[in-house]
Amino acid sequence: MFVILVYDIKQVRVTKVLKKCREYLYWVQNSVFEGEITGAGLKKLKMELGHIMHPEEDSVIIYNLRTTKYYSREIMGVEKGGMDQII
Amino acid sequence: MKRTFYLFSNGELKRKDNTIYFETENGEKRFLPVEDISEIMAFGEVSLNKRLLEFLSQSEIIVHYFNYYGYYMGTFYPREHMNSGYMTLRQAEHYLDDSKRLDLAKRFVKGAADNMLRVVKYYEKREKDISNVREEIERRRADISDCDNGETLMAIEGNVRNTYYEAFDAIVGQPAFAFESRTRRPPRNYMNTLISFGNSMMYSVVLSQIYRTHLDPRIGYLHATNFRRFTLNLDVAEIFKPIIVDRIIFTLLGRRQLSENDFVKGTEGVVMKENARKMFVEEFDQKLQTTQNYKSLNRQVSYRHLIRLELYKLEKHLMGEKQYDPYVAAW
Repeated sequence: MFVILVYDIKQVRVTKVLKKCREYLYWVQNSVFEGEITGAGLKKLKMELGHIMHPEEDSVIIYNLRTTKYYSREIMGVEKGGMDQII
Repeated sequence: MKRTFYLFSNGELKRKDNTIYFETENGEKRFLPVEDISEIMAFGEVSLNKRLLEFLSQSEIIVHYFNYYGYYMGTFYPREHMNSGYMTLRQAEHYLDDSKRLDLAKRFVKGAADNMLRVVKYYEKREKDISNVREEIERRRADISDCDNGETLMAIEGNVRNTYYEAFDAIVGQPAFAFESRTRRPPRNYMNTLISFGNSMMYSVVLSQIYRTHLDPRIGYLHATNFRRFTLNLDVAEIFKPIIVDRIIFTLLGRRQLSENDFVKGTEGVVMKENARKMFVEEFDQKLQTTQNYKSLNRQVSYRHLIRLELYKLEKHLMGEKQYDPYVAAW
């Protein structure tokens, strides 16, 4: 499945969350990640994020797209990150 | 399915923050999510350290590396994670028993011939004048089942392939990309360069898939097992070369995406320029991601997954569960 993950984390923990997300998903711009991920992978990521964040102060939203068939992605301005496979 | 990364830029690949990090010479920084990588193909000058290799082993990521001219040089094949002495023994058994080995080798040759026929028929339908090639392949294909030793099989295989290559000029129809004859190490003309490059990509992709099964890539059947390299991937790649590599070549040339200016002649033979290689690789990756219906599973599978399924079929054959029947394209 394809997910879009956005977060709003208190500054002291934000790098930890950033680093964790980088293991699974592609950085798109500040506080936004996206990428193809398996069900198990997402479960793992959610669990690991759960250990880092504080449920009273932080928030993570995961948009889950079962298929990207009817999806289009438009960028205005600079493209900051992405999923390029050819580097 | 996890992704393949193609590194064309020069730079440093390292372990950072428990994931993989690539910093190019010109300062571009990229984090590659470990959980989403299945293999890395390094074309550029990439420096790395043991810490990274350890991490790659642990994460079961395979690395293929190519030299400056784009020729396959080797593979970092991490410690086997799917060990099976049982499967190794079955593989060796089928190698050592001459009749079993010949039987398997024939199946690979037949599969390859069938797929070459598919390609030829496909272009025949598109009004290319290659019916004589088709007939010739069909005739030679019939000899496969009667053949009773390895040498004659290799000879038939060579003949089928030569006949098949005769169709190339008619399909492409561009004098600059004339096939002439097959030359390797080094390839002597544009067409040969494209074939060699595509084939080596194919070999490494199959090898990566073998890593994900219990099979041992060192024991091949059609290609003799020897002391230096992986051979099973060469056998399996035979089946997919016509329908993947050759089709990509025809598509790229058909769209006029490649021209003579994309190549350089040197002591290493004719070599593709970097942008041409990138284009080829992009097309190749796209192709492997395209899906088609797989009858026995009744669902859509990508070509990359199809290779894995082919290996599972081979495992079944080796275990004596079900005879191996190579994949033949359905279009």
